[in-house]
Amino acid sequence: MLHRRDLLKSAAAIGTTALSSPFLTRPAQAQDVTLDVLYAFPAFAKFHEPIAQEFMKQQSAIKIQFRAPAASYDEGHQTMLRQAVTNQLPDVYYSGYHLLAELVRTLVKRNQITEVAPLLQKEDAAWRRANYSDGILALGAVDGKIYGLAFNASLPIIYFNAQLVKDAGGDPDKMPNNWADMIALAVNIKAKGADVAGIAYNIHDWPDDWLFRSLILQGGGQMLDASETAAGFGTDAGRNALAHCRKFVADAKMPLIDWDSSRQQFIAGKIGIFADTPARLRQVTDLIGDKFTLRTCTFPIDDKQKGGLPTGGNAAIITAKDPAKQRAAWEFLKFVSGPEAQKIVVETTGYMPTNLRASGPEFLAPFYDKNPNFRTVSQQIERAKPWQGYPGGQSVKIWRTQREIIHAVMRGETPVEAGLDRMVKESNALMKSS
Amino acid sequence: MNAIIAEITPLAAAPPASRQRWIERFAGLGFAAPAFILLVLTNLAPLAALAFLSFTNYELGALDFSFVGLKNFGTALQDPVIRRSITNTLLYVAIVVPGGVLISLLVAILIHQRKRTRSLYEVIYFLPVTSTLIAMATMWQFLLHPTLGLINQVLKGLGFAETAFLSEPRLVIPTLAAIGIWQLVGFNMVLFLAGLSAIPRDLYEAVDIDGASHPIDRFLKVTWPMLGPTTMFVTVTTFITAFKIFDTVAVMTRGGPGGASEVLLYAIYLEGFQYFHMSYAATLTLVFLAFTLVFSVLQTFVLDRRVHY
Repeated sequence: MLHRRDLLKSAAAIGTTALSSPFLTRPAQAQDVTLDVLYAFPAFAKFHEPIAQEFMKQQSAIKIQFRAPAASYDEGHQTMLRQAVTNQLPDVYYSGYHLLAELVRTLVKRNQITEVAPLLQKEDAAWRRANYSDGILALGAVDGKIYGLAFNASLPIIYFNAQLVKDAGGDPDKMPNNWADMIALAVNIKAKGADVAGIAYNIHDWPDDWLFRSLILQGGGQMLDASETAAGFGTDAGRNALAHCRKFVADAKMPLIDWDSSRQQFIAGKIGIFADTPARLRQVTDLIGDKFTLRTCTFPIDDKQKGGLPTGGNAAIITAKDPAKQRAAWEFLKFVSGPEAQKIVVETTGYMPTNLRASGPEFLAPFYDKNPNFRTVSQQIERAKPWQGYPGGQSVKIWRTQREIIHAVMRGETPVEAGLDRMVKESNALMKSS
Repeated sequence: MNAIIAEITPLAAAPPASRQRWIERFAGLGFAAPAFILLVLTNLAPLAALAFLSFTNYELGALDFSFVGLKNFGTALQDPVIRRSITNTLLYVAIVVPGGVLISLLVAILIHQRKRTRSLYEVIYFLPVTSTLIAMATMWQFLLHPTLGLINQVLKGLGFAETAFLSEPRLVIPTLAAIGIWQLVGFNMVLFLAGLSAIPRDLYEAVDIDGASHPIDRFLKVTWPMLGPTTMFVTVTTFITAFKIFDTVAVMTRGGPGGASEVLLYAIYLEGFQYFHMSYAATLTLVFLAFTLVFSVLQTFVLDRRVHY
């Protein structure tokens, strides 16, 4: 819900943006243009819809029409590939970062995507610098060219049950900043409560390899080696990651159930520490209500020097064919990545803003002061790394293969060392197979 | 027919008999044509396209493809994921076929003897057949929830340990099979009831006179042999239904935990619609078709010989 004062402020901000943007001053949008927009996750309608409403209020010549949202990034990706073949692509699509490279490469070959970089170049340089950091722009780059404009961005964070942490002798204001201490705290939580699990790190059931990347990158490791053609996690970083995974289950009694059930269990107050995306912070906060005090803290980092975190979320790409629609789509992209739209996104989900001005005092600062849990994710932003895709276009299959091995390691069926060997070998085989 | 021939015959120069045969053949083809064209369009043509794709390396979204001969088939033979999915499917079939046939036979015999409550039981057992499996799968997921689900609450009340039925690799296929049986029993029961009603009463009277009055004797001497054709039909359809297991896996486990519930159709779905290896998925679909065909033909012929009609 936006207050009128906020709206006025936003309108003023947009006004200045518009003045400094030469694109808007052209009478290009004389006739009405309708943009077909596709996004993933039906639940995300709660910010996509108000953002589109706001956009249409300001750009009366452009109409935004949403297609039925895809159930997940994977399904959205499939829809896009199918529609590329049948020439029924939407005009704008929000692609998950982990699938962006594969999608863009396919669409570039078919000449069905518009590069974003030249459009950005045409804008005023000062405006560009004021809104987008280089790190944020890099999120939408594929093979050195910018095709997508970052819309949602997240880094993994830790949710925890403050009561359970206190009971176990932990300090909710000073949560462990490395995994050894975090696991020790989880073991204490488990020891205190009979029907309570210490931690849930649902890597064994996660639909993509985000949580695995998180463990590798925080330990200073890399997903790919220097040649960028083979797995780079067959190092100590990978070994420690798998050892942590085994400890979650063996020592802290993490239940190996599907992540939906696991999240329900955390919300029911039966899990102490829970690693998850900040994108569901609003939802989880609302579901917990007064049942217990929900707190968040930054993701533990073992390698304080080199440790990084993978950026999840999605970027908007332009797949419109018609030049008038491409121009309109660019206006839409600028708006959704602007401070006003980002404020809506952050407040309804928990994502990080992808706009530099959004965190400022006229937008999100007051909200963050009132909701410190939402600020956590931004506190680790200097550790954010763009998604490093696997070569060969098999990333979905690679993750399914890796996930099975991780699952076996967590159950104790495969020792850490053997599991890591298998992961490296099988990932490499899949990268080379196409 | 006669009218047409009567009209044409006077004009015909050729001998009427051969001309009539020709016309009849032509008319016959004409009558068969609509069904044949439909069969070609909806079954044979897609099958041909499928077979064609399986010899290429086409991927969804690609602009071109080339022929790779039997490479896809070679890969499939050595693919551990495919092997595992075939094992999982066979395990599922091995539980569902005997379970689905025997339990429904038992239920049918029990219900057949009811007089007033028969239709009530029929409705109760038939309900799962009429419900959509997706909705039912969601319901099962709630029931089987590792801690909050009703089944685990009951187990806990009885002093057993909590069991994560869908997250335990050894239990996931038997659990899915139990749900599969639950869904099939009603339909098979109706078929068996029809079979039971068709058994003449005098056969039972005859074995009674011969001294076989114990229910088990009556079952073995009359009911079971007379149900032969029904049993064969039920077994074959149950087999095919079980082999096509997909929806419960897709909704409830997504192949997990750790691939323990990845069945053949789900593996095909992953290859085709998640990994976009269209050609490989086409190959696997051919393998799947061959499997069902071979098993069905085998079953029909083997059982056919033993069935007393």
